[in-house]
Amino acid sequence: MKSRDVFSYSFSAIKLRKLRAGLTTLGVVIGIAAIVALLSITQGLQDTITRQLQTGFATDTLIVSTGGGFGLGTQGGVGVANSGFKLSVNDTQKINNITNVEMSIAIIQRGGSIKSGEKVRNITIVGVDFAEYAKIYGSTFVAEPGGDIPLNPENETVVVGKRVSDPWKNETLLCNVNDNVEIAWLNATTLPPKEETYTGYVTAVLKEIGGFGVGGPSDSGVYIPISQAQSFFGTDECNMIIVKLTSDDKATIDSVSEAIKEAFSSQVSVTSATAVLNILSSVFSIITLFLGGIAAISLLVAGIGIMNIMIVSLMERTREIGILKALGMKSRTVLLVFLSESVIIGLMGAVIGIGSGWVLANVVAMVFRGGGIFMGNQAAGTGGMTITPVLTPTVFLGALVFGVGVSVIFALYPAWRASKLKPVEALRYE
Amino acid sequence: MATIVEAVNLKKTYMLGKVPVNALRGVNLKVESGDFLAILGPSGSGKSTLLNLIGALDKPTEGKMLIESVDVSTLNDNQLADLRRRVGFVFQFFNLISRFTARENVELSMSIADINRAERRKQAEDLLETVGLKERMNHKPAELSGGEQQRVAIARALANTPRFLLMDEPTGNIDSKTANEIMGLIKRLNEEKGVTIIMVTHDQRLATQAKRAFQMFDGVITREIVN
Repeated sequence: MKSRDVFSYSFSAIKLRKLRAGLTTLGVVIGIAAIVALLSITQGLQDTITRQLQTGFATDTLIVSTGGGFGLGTQGGVGVANSGFKLSVNDTQKINNITNVEMSIAIIQRGGSIKSGEKVRNITIVGVDFAEYAKIYGSTFVAEPGGDIPLNPENETVVVGKRVSDPWKNETLLCNVNDNVEIAWLNATTLPPKEETYTGYVTAVLKEIGGFGVGGPSDSGVYIPISQAQSFFGTDECNMIIVKLTSDDKATIDSVSEAIKEAFSSQVSVTSATAVLNILSSVFSIITLFLGGIAAISLLVAGIGIMNIMIVSLMERTREIGILKALGMKSRTVLLVFLSESVIIGLMGAVIGIGSGWVLANVVAMVFRGGGIFMGNQAAGTGGMTITPVLTPTVFLGALVFGVGVSVIFALYPAWRASKLKPVEALRYE
Repeated sequence: MATIVEAVNLKKTYMLGKVPVNALRGVNLKVESGDFLAILGPSGSGKSTLLNLIGALDKPTEGKMLIESVDVSTLNDNQLADLRRRVGFVFQFFNLISRFTARENVELSMSIADINRAERRKQAEDLLETVGLKERMNHKPAELSGGEQQRVAIARALANTPRFLLMDEPTGNIDSKTANEIMGLIKRLNEEKGVTIIMVTHDQRLATQAKRAFQMFDGVITREIVN
């Protein structure tokens, strides 16, 4: 029997029992939709986070800090060394002497507040060398039109992130270019703690970055000159040193990382963007596997449904199989007839499932967008993150193959039984 | 004339639960091309078992079943299926596929034999014309009378130009008037088209329409009647 005839015969059998075939297909649809929705959302989330990380975190940079690394999404959350070792602003000179280091800059940051008129907002005060910071983060440490980031700033110069200027995203500005603002932080090194303040002058608002910077500029940062930070915070101790390398290949990253650790007798930790991205990527593979596994269980249930239906169908159609065999149909063809029924159901289920999974993913993403999810410990400042579900060709093809595969595998046994029926007995079956 | 079917000391035993039943206990027969043979006997005489063996639906326990000089026992599953394509079956309960129209039912046996769509469509129409059912060829079995359904079954059996037709009580499930028409059709096929026919029946009257008849009882042929 020609394969086209086999398929059209199978299709006629499916058409005869529309409701039953529909429900069986629905099982596959749900399983595939769950897989596609979960995986495309996860993929979208991973892409978003990776992109945002790359925005605020150039791949050719290293972050040197004391203690055991840093937490994602935290601005000032760099661990403090247990040994009491402190990084100084002048340590950049030590790092600059290392081969393959293009430049390095120290960052001092403290939690504080910014006040403009009656409006106050808690922010992160970041002290950096504007000129060098702009060299490393040339694409993000950029002023909006109307503002200017001076390369040789006055002590009072202040550059603010987009979310500091426009925290509510509604044009009700907290401060703008040319505004005087009061910068404050609570100095807890004295007893009783004392609030230190000074009046700064906003010269620029950064263009919206969207990412959550690690070391790099962020929408919720308030940037002041490093010399001003040293005197305002009364310290030479810096939170981290950003190191720009001559290249972002792995060998350079590794050798410089080692050299820096050595230079500070292993009392600092060195983190590379690439390493963070790798960790992130492996975390996401685990999440993907986990979610995919859960969704796969529902497809397994659908598979058992297919098997169940096929066995019932086999009993109902025993006589028909007898007729087919009496007309000269080979056992192999009977097997193919039953298997192609499962292929049709699997294919329909997979295609509809991929479509509805995709719709589902977009609906979920829209709900997220509406509610807004926040990353990091500065929810208000970091802003909502949008997830765009991504349906990769791998997920698409995988879902298709998996849907059809599960259907066929569970149909194997009933189809085999059908093919093994003896014509005489099948014809006698009532 | 060429011998198409030959049974040599044919025996068939099957298990009914745990009880062995000797359905055939040594049957010898020869059917030649163009013959019209009736196998007559009460129920349980083994005539249907014999028919199944002749149609290669089953294998004998002992003895030889030769179809065109080939011993059925030596054939594997696939070869048996090929052999069945050269045999036309007509069953008492028609055994049409209910979701297919008359024409599609006739086409089915040709599609199993790998005949292409255009050709089998034309042949199906010709065959349905032969059995006088061309006007109703797009009707499904449920929309056809018993007699009409049996005509479709005969047309289906004639597809793939079989070496012989095997009929199991072909008029057993239709009224006597229609039965006469069907018997007329069967006789015409035999006399005018030279189709070899082996028919099982328990109806003495029908058996007289055949050229020869074998009387079966308890798994053996007890006598041969030549009409």
